[in-house]
Amino acid sequence: MSKSTSSSKSAIKTETPVDSPIERTKRTGAKIEESLAPKVATKKPHKSKKRKEQWGNVFTYLLLIAVSILLLLPLVWMVSISLKPMSEIAQFPPNLFPRDIQWNNYREMTDAFPFFKYAGNTLFITAFVVAGNIISNSFIAYGFAKIAFPGKKILFAMVLSTMMIPGFVTMIPQYILFSRIGWVGTYLPLIVPAFFGNAFNIFLMRQFYMSIDNELIEAAQIDGANHLYIWSRLMIPLTKPALITIGITSFNGAWNDFLGPLLYIQNEERYTLQIGLQVFQNQSTTQWNYLMAGATLVLLPTVLLFLVAQKYFIEGMDLSGGMKG
Amino acid sequence: MGIDMAARQEKLSNKKPKKKWNNRKKREALWGLFFVSPFIIGFTFFLLGPMLFSLYGSFTNYNLTSKMDFIGLANFQRMFTRDELFWTSLYNTAYYVIFNVPLTTIGSIFLAVLLNRRIRGISLFRTIFYLPAVLSGVAVYVLWMQLLSPSTGLVNTLLAFIGIDGPSWLFDPNWTKPALILMRLWSVGGSMLLYLATLQNVPKQLYESAEIDGANSFQQFLNITLPMITPIIFYDIVTSTIGAFQIFQEAYVMTESGTAGPANSLLFYNFHMWNKAFVAFDMGYAMAMSMILFIIVLVLTFINLKIAPRWVHYGGGENV
Amino acid sequence: MEKSKGKKILSIALMSFIAFVLVACGTNGDTTDDAENNGTEEATNGEKTELEFWSFWGGGPRRETIESIIEDFNNSQDNIEVTHVYQPWGDIWTKALAAVASGNDIPDIIVQDINTVRQRADANQATNLQEYLDQEEENISDSFYPQLWDTVVHEDEAYGLPFNTDTHVLFYNKDLFEEAGLDPDTPPTTWDELEEMARQLDVEDGDSFEQFGFYPLWNLGLDVWTINADEGTSWFDENDEVKINTPEKVSALEWVLDWQDYYGQDTINSYEAEFDSGLADPFISGLLAMRGQNINYYTDLRENAPEDFNFGVALLPEYEEGSGPWTWGGGFALEIPYGAENPEASYEFMKYLVSTEAQTTFGLNSFDIMANQEANEALEDHPDLDENGHMIYELAHQNLDYTVITPVPLTAPDYLQLVNGQIDEALLGNKTAQEALDDAQASVEDLVEQNE
Repeated sequence: MSKSTSSSKSAIKTETPVDSPIERTKRTGAKIEESLAPKVATKKPHKSKKRKEQWGNVFTYLLLIAVSILLLLPLVWMVSISLKPMSEIAQFPPNLFPRDIQWNNYREMTDAFPFFKYAGNTLFITAFVVAGNIISNSFIAYGFAKIAFPGKKILFAMVLSTMMIPGFVTMIPQYILFSRIGWVGTYLPLIVPAFFGNAFNIFLMRQFYMSIDNELIEAAQIDGANHLYIWSRLMIPLTKPALITIGITSFNGAWNDFLGPLLYIQNEERYTLQIGLQVFQNQSTTQWNYLMAGATLVLLPTVLLFLVAQKYFIEGMDLSGGMKG
Repeated sequence: MGIDMAARQEKLSNKKPKKKWNNRKKREALWGLFFVSPFIIGFTFFLLGPMLFSLYGSFTNYNLTSKMDFIGLANFQRMFTRDELFWTSLYNTAYYVIFNVPLTTIGSIFLAVLLNRRIRGISLFRTIFYLPAVLSGVAVYVLWMQLLSPSTGLVNTLLAFIGIDGPSWLFDPNWTKPALILMRLWSVGGSMLLYLATLQNVPKQLYESAEIDGANSFQQFLNITLPMITPIIFYDIVTSTIGAFQIFQEAYVMTESGTAGPANSLLFYNFHMWNKAFVAFDMGYAMAMSMILFIIVLVLTFINLKIAPRWVHYGGGENV
Repeated sequence: MEKSKGKKILSIALMSFIAFVLVACGTNGDTTDDAENNGTEEATNGEKTELEFWSFWGGGPRRETIESIIEDFNNSQDNIEVTHVYQPWGDIWTKALAAVASGNDIPDIIVQDINTVRQRADANQATNLQEYLDQEEENISDSFYPQLWDTVVHEDEAYGLPFNTDTHVLFYNKDLFEEAGLDPDTPPTTWDELEEMARQLDVEDGDSFEQFGFYPLWNLGLDVWTINADEGTSWFDENDEVKINTPEKVSALEWVLDWQDYYGQDTINSYEAEFDSGLADPFISGLLAMRGQNINYYTDLRENAPEDFNFGVALLPEYEEGSGPWTWGGGFALEIPYGAENPEASYEFMKYLVSTEAQTTFGLNSFDIMANQEANEALEDHPDLDENGHMIYELAHQNLDYTVITPVPLTAPDYLQLVNGQIDEALLGNKTAQEALDDAQASVEDLVEQNE
């Protein structure tokens, strides 16, 4: 079992009396997992099977590499443009690799507008949006997936309906609304709604919860645990991969959001990266090299985040795979 | 669908000895409302007002700044009888939805399954596969314009390698929509991520026992993996249908100065709506269009919800 | 249980009603009085009036220049302090529209698309400037090119001041002219000459072309050629009559179709991408010998072309000898969004921005063609510009006599979608030029009727 899961377990232990209901449920849950756990470690695979597996792996790698190349080509193209001088970008036919590499483009790009300040602003907004999305959607979806209450059907229909109206007809009325309550010019319209759930994420979390056995909750309830306790202590650890997913996608959404910051931020000091990157486009020309350099740099934090989040995906696997290693 | 079952169960349980159950149910109901309350509050304050406003606006000649007179069904009448581009945009959008949704669903499941392995370097591959979904905005669309260039683009260069004479993509009205679908397929990383997250929850022992029973990998995928990820497939289909109906930005950026492509072949529903709202300032008409789109998507979602119980498998039991 | 449900629905309905009312109050109308009161208040109490000026000049020489002009203005008097705020190109107008619709946070002055001033005037999005203009001793409108001034006038009253403009001309590669045995100093002056020279400049290589002489739709729209053929009449004439299927316009489309036939549709398509994405430049790369283009393209050439790139600029060739080198232009105007708090002070600043001095400074650094005629004349022999610079301004000034600006018709602001769709049908070979333009005429007339 990986470290963080076991430590969270011990955290529960210290908080609750030894024979608390929740602890018992936890154990029952663990027992179910254990009984289903594979006996991989104790079984020795046949040789022929192993060879077959190796060939399978080679095939997998080849496939992975081929798909990777296809997916990466546009990005290579992007980085390539970001390193060219404009005079080379204008050349026809275009060449994939720059003849005359301009690392300076990156420096000039970050000097053309307050790149790092805007990055800080964007990060500030993004951090709140991610936190808001993870907490609120997990919370709201639990109500929709695991508790019976009247009017649920109608409410859930409302959740879905909010996805169906195209953004730009509600854009102006929404702006007027935020303007009336004095939020225009602040980050509030960008941050606060994240704490009240997002239809796509509520729906997504609900789908994940629906796959979790109700017996687990019923057992906890019989032992006297309330829903808040079940949600925070049982459900959150069980839905970690889903929460990470929501974290990653909402990071991505807020980090790259353009229209929201455009409409609601008034002071140039408080602009975000996506607005800053627009300085390279104007009525007649676009400085493609800087634009691509900017797009490349803006991509990096998301890539780093994703690489880190990997770990939790693997952990999620451990959790349902039982004791191992 | 779970909700139906819940309603039925409620009815059933009402016949049982009352008092004790009622108390418990009341408590449960309060808990339920407590959990969904953030949504109710957020919905009421941030969304409902603008939504009702749009509904009302669709019956007016609202122009954002000086006019908002009630004109009854005139907008809808014009839309159905006089506006040829309305039908063009509806056709283009339907075409895009019909091809885009299944292809991206299959594509992202394929990638997720491919990545759901414990082999060395897998996290690197996962990152690479996800990367395209991270990119957005003008930069990536312009990049694709060059990739899809008929004479010098990489796409046709690659096609030439396998002996295919590539089409003119964005310059041939028959290939403009496939070009955008291709581009969308490239960035399926987002939904791939969802499948990947779900696949983590498929108990490995299920595969073990299937292997002992002699099932090959394809059978395993069909009998174990697929049923386990049906809740997310369902989610993916519903949301990507909704998303596909709202395609706009790529079409706007990738056709020079927003001309909607050769012969208006990229004039999608939202594109036309944008023109009406922000070029003609005919916001009332745009709002009326959005109501029609709302109804179309609503009906499709409703059908999806009705069909779902036949194929979506919820591991948690269906009774909540 | 039913009861509590009912209560809940009731309370939701109530709350949403409040939200709805909040939004609905946003339609501006009622904000006027506030705005005007504020304006007079601030002007009278002797404090400095602070103005916010929105432009889409986010970087490079345009931003530097506008900010230095603003600084000069701020230093030139003690009553008004202007701050420049950059907003992204294109989206600046969406944001301004949202602000005007809400009645709050409205910028004081904004740079707007010159073709839609009238449309905004009509929809109450721009402030009427006539009262300020009437107080002037001299007629400010005379300093602008007349067709630019026309765009800012709605029902005989002005709603903006023209700031800069552009026009479409012919760029040609002098070296390729010499290679083909043509005189690099006599570019084509009529469509026939254009065609002849193009044939000489074409370099074929088997089935494909190594070099194109000219293709009319690289990088101009058919609308420019129809304006040229129809002696300055665009899709709508000056009385807002639909003039799409005139014989001259049909013949312009037929002429374009001939060009397409000559090079072949597939060939055209396969190079089209290079012109659309704006990345590679076939003219700089020598793939194309002559190119119709916005005169602003000169700055691209200055920055991206090799030092020894030898090019010339000429008026667009005329449809027939003597019909006139008609062409098309655009530009930007300064406006005070409706509901802004200090229209009087804003007008003072706008007046400064269109003065010959400020206009000359802006043109000098940005290479934009200015709306003020004297500024362009001053730039024709400005000591800080090189020979090419003088040539550009001279040509532009001359060309503006034949440059048509096409403000969107109030009766059908989004008509272009219909026209372009039909033109494409002709280019695809699905309709003849006559059929396509007849159908476009009918559709647009119908749209006008719908909007009336």
